[in-house]
Amino acid sequence: MEITIKFTINGKMVKVEVPPHWTLLRLLRERLGLTGTKEGCGIGECGACTVLLDGMPVNACLVLAPKVDGRSVFTVEGLGSRDALHPLQKSYIEHGAVQCGFCTPGMLISSKALLDKNPHPTQDEIKEAISGNLCRCTGYQQIIEAIEAIDKDVRG
Amino acid sequence: MKWSSNLQPQTESIMIPSFDYKTPKTLQEACDLLQEAHGKAKIIAGGTDLVIGLRNGDSNPSLLIDITSLKELRRIEETDETLSVGAAVTHSEIASSPLVRQYGIVLSKAASEIGSPQIRNLGTIGGNIVNGSPAADTLPPLIVLDAIGKVISRDRERNVPVAQLVKGPYETSLKPSEILVGVSFKKLSQDIRSGFIRLARREAMAIARMSIALLLQVQEGKIQNIRIAPGAILPTPQGLSDVEEFLKGKSPDEEVLRIASRKVSEAMIRRSGIRPSAPYKAPVVEALFLRAMRRALEGQDETGRS
Ligand SMILES: Cc1cc2nc3c(=O)[nH]c(=O)nc-3n(C[C@H](O)[C@H](O)[C@H](O)COP(=O)(O)OP(=O)(O)OC[C@H]3O[C@@H](n4cnc5c(N)ncnc54)[C@H](O)[C@@H]3O)c2cc1C
Ligand code: FES
Ligand code: FES
Repeated sequence: MEITIKFTINGKMVKVEVPPHWTLLRLLRERLGLTGTKEGCGIGECGACTVLLDGMPVNACLVLAPKVDGRSVFTVEGLGSRDALHPLQKSYIEHGAVQCGFCTPGMLISSKALLDKNPHPTQDEIKEAISGNLCRCTGYQQIIEAIEAIDKDVRG
Repeated sequence: MKWSSNLQPQTESIMIPSFDYKTPKTLQEACDLLQEAHGKAKIIAGGTDLVIGLRNGDSNPSLLIDITSLKELRRIEETDETLSVGAAVTHSEIASSPLVRQYGIVLSKAASEIGSPQIRNLGTIGGNIVNGSPAADTLPPLIVLDAIGKVISRDRERNVPVAQLVKGPYETSLKPSEILVGVSFKKLSQDIRSGFIRLARREAMAIARMSIALLLQVQEGKIQNIRIAPGAILPTPQGLSDVEEFLKGKSPDEEVLRIASRKVSEAMIRRSGIRPSAPYKAPVVEALFLRAMRRALEGQDETGRS
């Protein structure tokens, strides 16, 4: 049995048929072809599946698809494209914050959520904002620096 | 859902079994749906415990009833004497609420330390209570605040102290037809200090995620009133009345606090039974208690209050 849900994905309205027991993560990856959002643990621990739901970061692996009906979802695909990278994406690359890249989409989304509501975060605020995103490669320092650099850019 | 802080790799091959999903717009409609499902429905709030539980096959409902659109469950409201928090209010919303900070800072503090930003944006206080984990972080604050839960079903409404809502690990006194609408507690007056300390997630990997919540009123150097509740230490959420009685009327000096901290760990061992982990936990519990007392005595958690 499938239900029809309507929601905004990266600014565009979509209408999809989906079984109610599918997670938002599965809906994004398997129905909408948006495979930027990753599945790591599937149980809310790693943050690889982080997306914005009405502007707030959530774990897409814990959200059932019917929950997003009438709401707005933002994924890493909405951030930038290969030819027009978002400043955060550029900064991640420049600071060596991307190694294997598996955590990157989720990290970028958590970073965006932080900067959207707090354009001048402190180191502690940055650490708190990415505390739900695990990275096995970088040791986090480069990621923190990449986010801090944006802050400086904005401040000039 | 029973959770641990261990990372357990899982794959999409572990599928969630299918069910019907309804998002009622009124509390009445939610109660009717629940009643008519005769125990085959489950309520879903943030889903942070439930979705994992469904994946693990802990339960197999034929219907999920999403209560996050019910406005009665989404409010934080004050009266002259009390503050009430709707069951579907998220941990993020509690942590950022000026009302909760002013009148129940011990609860804001606990909410702000739960999981991760992503989990706090989904997880609700009602889900935290009803899931009934011994490590649920909002329970110790709600115990020291003597919070009362408001519970409703199609035919009945009742008020139950939160301490009586949770009967044992992952077990509550709610009937399958009942919905937790919210919790309320007496607003804390300005002269009551609070302390909440929990082991950070990283520290907590090896042992349980212990915490201590307390409220403290000191007058002329003597403890007038005190409430202490540990988290993740006892099988059900409860206050430590024997330690509270010991401390009342005493001045909180080093020696008194040291004896009290012993009493805290003794109470833990007495009430939870001697488990192999008890000797490791005792000094940790004592240290947590002392840190929470120090915070309260120095007013460190009060900075957000006006
Ligand atoms: C990665 C991760 C980290 C976590 N970290 C913490 C932590 O640090 N501290 C902590 O305390 N918890 C933690 N949790 C557990 C969880 O996030 C919380 O318990 C959360 O508050 C549950 O709320 P929910 O709205 O998501 O509940 P749901 O999953 O929607 O529901 C949980 C249970 O309560 C029932 N229920 C929900 N609302 C009601 C209601 N109003 N009336 C009747 N029944 C209801 C549901 O039927 C279900 O059985 C963590 C979970 C994850 C996945
Ligand atoms: S896949 Fe969702 S948090 Fe790990
Ligand atoms: S870059 Fe590999 S997990 Fe973060």
